[in-house]
Amino acid sequence: MLPSHEPLTNDASDLPPVNGRTASGPVVAIEHLSKSYGDNLVLKDINLTVARGEVVSIIGPSGVGKSTLLRCINLLERPNSGRIVVQGRTVWENGKAASSSELVALRRTVGMLFQSFNLFPHLTAVENVAIGLTRGLGQNETVALEQSLHLLDRVGLRHKALSFPGRLSGGEQQRVAIARALALEPAALLFDEPTSSLDPELATEVLAVMRELSQTGMTMMVVTHELAFARDVSDRIVFVDAGDICEEGPPEKVLQNPTQPRTQAFLARFRGST
Amino acid sequence: MIAAIFHVHWGYYAPSLLKAGLKTLEFTGASYVGAIILGFVLALLRISPTRMARIPAAIYTEIFKNVPLLTWVFIIYYGLSSVGITLSTFVAGSLSLILFYAAYLGEIFRAGLQGVPRGQTEAAQAIGLGRTTTVIHVVMPQALRLSLAGTATMLVDLLKSTSLLVTIAGAELMTQGQIITSVTFRALEVYVVIGAIYFALCYPTSQAVLWLERRLQRGDAISLRRRRILKTVLKLSGDPRTSAEA
Repeated sequence: MLPSHEPLTNDASDLPPVNGRTASGPVVAIEHLSKSYGDNLVLKDINLTVARGEVVSIIGPSGVGKSTLLRCINLLERPNSGRIVVQGRTVWENGKAASSSELVALRRTVGMLFQSFNLFPHLTAVENVAIGLTRGLGQNETVALEQSLHLLDRVGLRHKALSFPGRLSGGEQQRVAIARALALEPAALLFDEPTSSLDPELATEVLAVMRELSQTGMTMMVVTHELAFARDVSDRIVFVDAGDICEEGPPEKVLQNPTQPRTQAFLARFRGST
Repeated sequence: MIAAIFHVHWGYYAPSLLKAGLKTLEFTGASYVGAIILGFVLALLRISPTRMARIPAAIYTEIFKNVPLLTWVFIIYYGLSSVGITLSTFVAGSLSLILFYAAYLGEIFRAGLQGVPRGQTEAAQAIGLGRTTTVIHVVMPQALRLSLAGTATMLVDLLKSTSLLVTIAGAELMTQGQIITSVTFRALEVYVVIGAIYFALCYPTSQAVLWLERRLQRGDAISLRRRRILKTVLKLSGDPRTSAEA
């Protein structure tokens, strides 16, 4: 799966710990990132930095590379060129990925939430939360389960600990998925359209959990179509169109007084349709 | 009427029938284990990103799926012995069954592995599970559930197919039936009894698998480890509302 390049050398000894909030500087820094599928250039020379505790919403029309951008950060997608730095560690540089052990470390640093939740259907809610701790980090089972129950409590689902995903509503599944991501104490969470497959009512309960997370200082990048959420919760809005960042700034500026014609057109269309 | 059919002194033949029944089960057990292992390897080869792995596995599957089992039995038992490779009936019979059923089981496992959505692997990677851990703890359990019904059907089918080994005097049930018939000349009675024995072996097997499938679907913990986990959770939560039906 990894390209057969030399792994990047990252001397772990003089770098801050990967997990936790101890490192200084941006949590995520993306420099000159490009990604194409064959001839189709999806991302063009993207530059984006996310500071600690910052909530960045990424908005834009469908199919313009918003999700791809997010998925490049934890290297579920391999960019073609550019540099990605997470917590001060270079995880990707011009076609070279970090070693596979560093890749695993990276993915424990940034959690990801998916549109389709992707809970493991053969495991109960609490086992879904615990698996990253037990199977990934090799933690003691009882300790991991205890912590997982605590996290389920945090998303209001402790009473569903032994339910299987198939018996949970979409909103509940996404909240379990958030608990699963939080279990690894990530420095940042990436949300890939977390409420797009939910009814408005169920979306609200997920958005409430996300809102609360942002108040605890969690660094978050959210690809979303929920403009109200983006306006209320994010520190910054990034408008992506046709593979590049067209406009970015504080929510009131981007949403109320966009300067770019493409942003204006998108917002007009979006508001017209809802 | 029934008395008119049953004339054979079955008490006398019981020990040899028992021996033949055990031989049938030996053929079935050895072949099934072998076919599962080979089938699993074939499935992994067929979903490999490497063409050089996929193509031979695909050719193998097509060849063994499209030539009758009996033909393979004859090729391996009579054919090989004519070029100096002499195999015992047990080895030749089991080998034929393994090679033949591996092709089918490989297809079933491949469908199971491919039936696990890509999002599952991605979610596992996203929480920092390595490749091997992801396959063992996320993909395989789901793939096995998807493959279970087909795999079990093959077990029953394989058990019945051991009867073809009568053609190489496999010493299994069908062969024993032939021996008893040649002594008693009571073909109807003998083969009805043989058929009943096959039914008695196959029916509980299919029912057991259905039962297992229902339990897995319900999400019951099959392994001791998962039972322990679920018990720990109940203990930790101390909440009577926390139950599997919550």
